[in-house]
Amino acid sequence: MTAKVERLVNLTVAFLEARRPMTLAELRRRTGYYTQGDPESSRRMFERDKDDLRRLGVPIETREVAFGDEVGYVVDRAAYELADVDLTAEEVAALSLAVQLTGSEGSHLALAKLAARAPDPADLATSPTTRVSLVPDPVDAVADAVVARVPVRFPYRTAGGETAERTVDPYAIVQRRGAWYLVGRDHARDAIRAFRLDRMVGRAREAGAPGGYLVPEGFDPAEHVRGPEGERVDVEVAVRAGARWAVELRGGVDTGRTHHGEPVLRLPDLDPVRDRSWLLGLGPDVEVLAPEALRAEVVEALERLSGGATSERSERDDRGGGREDS
Amino acid sequence: MSAAGDVARMLTLVPWLLERPGASVAETAAAFGVTEATIRRDLGHLDFCGLPGLGGGDLFEVDIVGERVVVQMADELKRPLRPTPREALRLVLTVDAVSEALSDEVPALRTAVDKVRVALGIPETVADVVEPGANDVVPVLRRAIADQRQVRLHYQGRADEQPQWRTVDPWTLQVADGTWYLRAHDAGADAARTFRLDRVIAIETSDRERAVPAPEHLPPPGYAPGADDLEVELEVSVAGRWVLDAVAPDAVDERTDGSAVVRLRTDAPGWLARVVLTAGGDARVCAPASLAEEVAVLAADALERYRR
Repeated sequence: MTAKVERLVNLTVAFLEARRPMTLAELRRRTGYYTQGDPESSRRMFERDKDDLRRLGVPIETREVAFGDEVGYVVDRAAYELADVDLTAEEVAALSLAVQLTGSEGSHLALAKLAARAPDPADLATSPTTRVSLVPDPVDAVADAVVARVPVRFPYRTAGGETAERTVDPYAIVQRRGAWYLVGRDHARDAIRAFRLDRMVGRAREAGAPGGYLVPEGFDPAEHVRGPEGERVDVEVAVRAGARWAVELRGGVDTGRTHHGEPVLRLPDLDPVRDRSWLLGLGPDVEVLAPEALRAEVVEALERLSGGATSERSERDDRGGGREDS
Repeated sequence: MSAAGDVARMLTLVPWLLERPGASVAETAAAFGVTEATIRRDLGHLDFCGLPGLGGGDLFEVDIVGERVVVQMADELKRPLRPTPREALRLVLTVDAVSEALSDEVPALRTAVDKVRVALGIPETVADVVEPGANDVVPVLRRAIADQRQVRLHYQGRADEQPQWRTVDPWTLQVADGTWYLRAHDAGADAARTFRLDRVIAIETSDRERAVPAPEHLPPPGYAPGADDLEVELEVSVAGRWVLDAVAPDAVDERTDGSAVVRLRTDAPGWLARVVLTAGGDARVCAPASLAEEVAVLAADALERYRR
């Protein structure tokens, strides 16, 4: 008996050579396959082979043929073949380096396909100092749907922890700061949303036909993973000398001193909601001077966090006899 | 790999070898990222493939002479099978992510990514890498690594009260899931260390040559708990769930209302206390009491400033 891999390669070659639809009967005559045993089990064997090849990307299509109820099978050579990609030897080397650096085994074959008719890789002048690791695996779950524009349904754990079914027109896959997102139109909300792939808690299933939607004109996936752009404010903080670096690293510029003699830094364009957390995390190293509303929010949060604890500093101040607290 | 995966490779192997008569088994294996034995097995199968009928003139001609491979009479497979959507997306995202990190060093990456996107029909509106978190110190470190020079880093360690100057022999830069790391030998500690570049405050290159060369193999960066670590239990509310991503939890107990209890170990309680402060009440220390106290005192200290 012929090895299955040989049968699948030969079947592909037979399709490519035929250039017209062939019925199963014709395929049996041409190839000699699917003739053993009873017709029904050999037909099932053919169906399995056909499904295997389709999964690999061999575009087997069915056509009506003139006679009888039989269908014909055909592979369009233009859909099968990858057109030549005009890569230079340096570009092939760069791509192969990228695939090696990430240890992304699945990408080797795709790269070999691209490079099959391109020049051999050039020797790179430098051996790079950087290694890159990423986890592109979750991409597989939705990749086909994104490319074929098939609506998908999947169970999703929200940032709030609860799990709910989502139906989405998948527009794009985006990686931002190491996290993978699916960006698309959420049917229930009728709005574009970003979904973190690591919060998909089950398989994505198809929920519509290929090409079932259009991606809106001017759609920019990056816009939807950056989170809402809030109103921006300039924030002034008094900073302990030892913690200046943390505020300077964030873009703080010196604007003078408090009457206690502490440096005052202005931070331009902070997000009053998201950056409030960062300011809180700096703890006793900073005091928010302006704007007043932000200062009040920080005080309120600190009161909650202190839970009635006494400041070590005020104890020290007590010992020094110079407590300035009210 | 499955039979189907083998077939995908064989359908690509034929056009690859048609273009390169006399290619060696070794270079073929390298190009496909498989062993030489796999390539030899593939070629053994391909020897029995060809046009329907599979008679004398129909079969592909596959010759292996010593190390050299010649495939002929296989023009039906002159061009490779298109990558599947899955392969195409994965390749584009992989190469794009690397290009964001490396295109200064390997300029051809940039143009290659664009060509691959066009060839595979994967524009940036379908798959993109944004904000890889590039960093000003990267070019300086690259030069130092290439020139094998020591550098001095002003660095805020997770466990340090204040940033400190450290003298290091830089080995390699790594980007792991969007975050940049430097792997280096720390002269002060006389040990290998991993530095997060977003904690580097300043950098100085020195004229001194690197003293300790890089080891052959560097495992990927990650937190390795030590014997003296503090065991901590945190309760995070729905709004504080981001804390789960900020720490490396050993265990997470999910509750039905979306809150969770997290157990973790840390060698830097001071850092963890600041994380809890950052959560502004959306995370609470259940244990140990000493850490809960540390958070409360930090908050009280901070409050003190507003009341004077």
